Amino acid sequence: MLRMLTRGLLAALLLLLISTSMNLFADPKENRKTASESSGATSSDSYMGLTGEELWSNNCLRCHNIRPPTMYGNAQWDVIVHHMRLRANITGQEQRAIVEFLKSSK
Amino acid sequence: MKRIRHYCLAAIIQGALLTVTSLVAHAEDATTDGFVTRKEYEELKAQMLAMKKELDALKKEGEAAQKQGSAENQALVQSHKEVAPPESSQGQTVADTHKQVATEAPPPVVEAEGSLLGTTKFLLAGWAEAMYEQRNGQVSTFSASLNPVFLWELTPKILFDGRLEIEPSGGGTNVNLVNAQISYLLNDYMALGVGEFFSPSNVFVERFEPQWINKLPDRPIGVYHGVLPNISVGAQVRGGFPIGPTRVDYALYVSNGPTLLTSDARTAGRLDFGSYTDNNDDKAVGGRVGFLPIPGVEVGYGFETSKPGFQGTTFADLRALLQSVDLEITRNSDLLKGRVNLFAQYAWSKVDHAVYDPDGSLGFGPLPLTAKRDGGYAEIAYRPTKLDIDFLRNLEMIFRWDHLSGDPSGLGDPSETRWTIGLDYWLSPSTVIKAAYEWDKPNGERNKNALLLQTAMGF
Repeated sequence: MLRMLTRGLLAALLLLLISTSMNLFADPKENRKTASESSGATSSDSYMGLTGEELWSNNCLRCHNIRPPTMYGNAQWDVIVHHMRLRANITGQEQRAIVEFLKSSK
Repeated sequence: MKRIRHYCLAAIIQGALLTVTSLVAHAEDATTDGFVTRKEYEELKAQMLAMKKELDALKKEGEAAQKQGSAENQALVQSHKEVAPPESSQGQTVADTHKQVATEAPPPVVEAEGSLLGTTKFLLAGWAEAMYEQRNGQVSTFSASLNPVFLWELTPKILFDGRLEIEPSGGGTNVNLVNAQISYLLNDYMALGVGEFFSPSNVFVERFEPQWINKLPDRPIGVYHGVLPNISVGAQVRGGFPIGPTRVDYALYVSNGPTLLTSDARTAGRLDFGSYTDNNDDKAVGGRVGFLPIPGVEVGYGFETSKPGFQGTTFADLRALLQSVDLEITRNSDLLKGRVNLFAQYAWSKVDHAVYDPDGSLGFGPLPLTAKRDGGYAEIAYRPTKLDIDFLRNLEMIFRWDHLSGDPSGLGDPSETRWTIGLDYWLSPSTVIKAAYEWDKPNGERNKNALLLQTAMGF
């Protein structure tokens, strides 16, 4: 059992190494834009240096295509982002910043 | 005159909004996938912000007018009371009418939405799919399913989410409850969920399984109905928190856990994840921890430990351990002119050593074994989102390897490895047409190569 556990943890470390090396392919401007570089109404909600727009893009695009803010009403976005907060394990601050961006972009 | 001016201003604002909306719609039509250029986006955003300011100013004026109007109505009702005393039935009727008019006066637009929808928020989401499968050695077939997702936000802290799977089968229709969970947000970094939920260690099921998200028509065998549970019934806490510029997410749960299969040589030692009721008093404990070193990249480790044997049998004290590692990378690259997704997960399961059918009464024992299984997948997809040609921008190419070594007794199904290539065409961000070819060669058996065609729509 211990051997199996060790093997699993070693595999996780290997994946971590691969993931960090993948940053070489990244477009730094798109993925590391700071709040001051981003325009828009959500700069006051920046979190970890990312605006609501960037959080929306980074978190949603990890799994699926992003849908335009106009696709749903404000109340619907409240429910959707609440649901996705639980699914994607984003924080409350991120949830609020994303919702505000979606509502202000409609 | 003041009100007429307000109405004119409102009409102008609405006209401007309609113009902008049509521009956005036109931009979306041009790309057919909802993307607009950065320049167009910035222009629209600037226009929208300017209009928002004007709308806010108009709302303030409207609220002031509303207050004034309410005061006037109140004065009018009061004057009626004075003219027609309450004991007069006719006067009472008129006064009531005035009260009704006063209370039913159109509220500001901003208040109308809230009052019409109430305080709870409900959304019917989900997806539908239709598929054609032509597999070597099997009859080709069409299939279809509807998967409604019910999302109900009772308060900003309480959410219910539930999903059904509805599909034609034989001469009727199958309806399955896939999940049903009540969640409560404890704070910004933690939520509690109880009910039937997607197993956090199975990242594919939790994040990529909906067919408008899954880039290939079928699911990887290693993690879907393979080594890891898809669904768990129990309770979980989950959330995420930042550590400097990075983020960690987590989920810990207790659940009924799997059931150990013991009565058939082909399946002895396997774990049955499809039985959602418990077979003993020991609960499974599991979880997953994910680390996001940079946006768009996540590495995870998941586990579940349980006692899967039936209570009161010789298998009751056996312990099963499941482990998995996963990797998700999404990168937009100027170099590659598009977006690259890399998803991978590999899982292992082990059940303590046991002797199955020890007295031979089932006809295959005694069969001593330590049941081990493993399986997983790796998938890479590329979509040229930065090309100028709309048609090419909507294409996505996918390649997947998946594997399941699922025969602990050596008497059951052989290990299976598949290689799949696929091509998707995105009609909208959540509507896709998929075509794939799968090379599938189980050890020692004839190939099960397949042509798969599917269309899926998320809503």
